[in-house]
Amino acid sequence: MADAAAIQTIDLRKRYDSVEALRGLNLNVATGSICGFLGRNGAGKTTTIKVLLGMTHPTSGQARVLGLDADRPDASVEIRRRTAFVGEDKDLYDAMTVDEMIRFTAAFYPRWRADLQARYLRAFDLPADRPIKTLSRGTRTKVGLLLALCRGAELLVLDEPTSGLDPAAAEQVLQALVGHVADEAATIFFSSHQIANVEQIADSVAIIDGGRTVLAGSLDELRERYRRVQLVFDRDAPDPAFRAPGIERVRRSGRVLSVLSSAGAEPVLDEARALNPVSMDVVPVTLKEIFLEAVALED
Amino acid sequence: MLSYKAWLDTRWRFLIGLCVLIVVAIGTVYDYLAVQRLLPLTRTIDGDGAIRARVREAIEIERTYRGFVWLQWFRQNLAQIGTLFAVLLGSGHLLSSGSSGAALFTLSLPVSRDRLVGVRAAVGLAELLALALLPSLAISALSPGIGQHYAVGDAVIHGASMFIAATVFFSLAFLLSTVFNDLWRPLLIACAIAFVLAVVELVVPDVGRYGIFRVMSGEMYFSAGRLPWIGWIVSAALSASLLYAAVVNMRRQDF
Repeated sequence: MADAAAIQTIDLRKRYDSVEALRGLNLNVATGSICGFLGRNGAGKTTTIKVLLGMTHPTSGQARVLGLDADRPDASVEIRRRTAFVGEDKDLYDAMTVDEMIRFTAAFYPRWRADLQARYLRAFDLPADRPIKTLSRGTRTKVGLLLALCRGAELLVLDEPTSGLDPAAAEQVLQALVGHVADEAATIFFSSHQIANVEQIADSVAIIDGGRTVLAGSLDELRERYRRVQLVFDRDAPDPAFRAPGIERVRRSGRVLSVLSSAGAEPVLDEARALNPVSMDVVPVTLKEIFLEAVALED
Repeated sequence: MLSYKAWLDTRWRFLIGLCVLIVVAIGTVYDYLAVQRLLPLTRTIDGDGAIRARVREAIEIERTYRGFVWLQWFRQNLAQIGTLFAVLLGSGHLLSSGSSGAALFTLSLPVSRDRLVGVRAAVGLAELLALALLPSLAISALSPGIGQHYAVGDAVIHGASMFIAATVFFSLAFLLSTVFNDLWRPLLIACAIAFVLAVVELVVPDVGRYGIFRVMSGEMYFSAGRLPWIGWIVSAALSASLLYAAVVNMRRQDF
C-alpha cells in the first residue's frame, strides 16, 4: 500500500554550500508508530525534519509525508495541515499571550480539538493570559506541545521535545505524547538526544549518522537481535576471528572477551564454545549501546 | 490571523512613525505664523547664484499657505520622515519579529510562503498608507486653528503621491529583508540608497525632474494641477517588481 508509511525518504540529499547535511537518507516511518530519530549533533536530524515540513528544499532525492511530496509547495501546505510540529528552540511569538497564541494557531486548523485544548491547559497548568516572552523554557515547551496536540494532526513531528526540561516536566511531556497516540491514533516522529526517552516511548527507531540512516527498525526487534556475549577465560582472552554473521564488535580486556552481535547470541555461542572459556554469559544490550555502536563511538 | 500577527510584528514602528509625523504636522501648521512674520525680511536676499535662486523660489512658494504646506510638509518633512518609516516598516524578519525559531513555527503552519509574505507586505503597505494620509489630513483639520484652509482633496492627492513613491523604498527594504536576517542591514542599505537618490535629485536638476522624490512630493499636481500618473505608474510598477522578487526569493530559501 503506497500510503502505509507516514514518512518515507528515498536517497534524500541536502547540501548547504560546502556541507552535505544529508547524504542519501532512506527512512521509513510506519503509520501509527512512535519513531525515535537518533543521531549525533550535526547528523542531519533537524535538516531532515525541515525537509519533511517544506522548510528546506532537498538537493535531490524524495521525501514523502502522508503520501505527499514534501518539496511540492501545494502538497507541502497540505502536509502541514495534517501535521503538527514542535521545534527544537520552542520559540513562539513573544508578542502574544498564551491564549492569543492558541487562538492564532487554532484558526489554521479546521479540526482543532477544543476538548484537548481545555484538557492540556489544565494538565500543563498553563497561564492563559501570560505573554509568551515571560514563560520559562519548560512552559514554552508545554505551550508548543498543546498547540501541536490540539491540531487534530495525523502526524506529530517533534524536534528534541524534552530538551532543556527538568525530569518531571520531561516525564509529563512524554506521558502526554504516549496518551495522545493511544487516544488519537496519530504517528509521532521525534528526534532526541535523550536515549532513555526514546527507549521509554518509542516503538521504532531510526539512527542516522553523517546524513545517512545507519540503523532502523522496531525497538523490540533491535533488542532481540542485539546481544553481548561475555566470555571469561582462565588465561588471557584469545583474539579469535569470528565467522558468525552480525558480529559488530569484539573487545578484549585481560581474561574477558566481549562480543557484540546484531544477529542474536546463538551463532557467537556456537563458535565461542571451541575457545574453551570458563564462563559464557549473554547480556541484553541497551539502546544506548546500540546507538553508540551504530555511530561507531566507544561507550 | 496572519494579518494580526503582522500587525503585532510591526505595530510599534507604525505607531511611533504615526506619532512622530502627527507631531511634525502640527508643528508645520503652527510654524506658518512665524514664517509669515519672517517673510517681509526676505526682501534683502538678492543677487545671483543657484542657492540664492532656490531660496527666492522657496520664499515665493511660501507666500501662500498652500505653497508653504507643500514645501515644508510634502516636499520636506513628510518625504524625509515618511521615507525613513517606509524603510523601517519594510525591514526586519518577514516571518517573525522574534527569533528564527519563531519563524520555523510560522513556516510549520498550513500556509504557503507566498501568502505569508503577501500578508506581511499588505499590512506594511496599509500602515504606510496610514502614515502618508493621516498626518496630511491632520494638516487640513488643524489649519482653521490658525485661520487658514488646506483642502482635503490636496491632502489626499499629495498623501497618495507620498504613499505610492514611498512604496518603492518599502519594497526595497522588504526585498533586502529576504536576503538579510537582521533588521539593520536592510534598513541601512535602503536608507543609503534613498539618501543617494535625494542628493542626485538635488544636485542634478535634469535627473531631478524625473526623480522619485519629485513624484513623492506631488510637485506636478502642486505646480500644474495635473496628477503625476507616469510617476505613480512607474513607482507602482517598480514597487511591485521588488515585492515579486521578494516573494520569489522567499520561495527558494532554506530555513
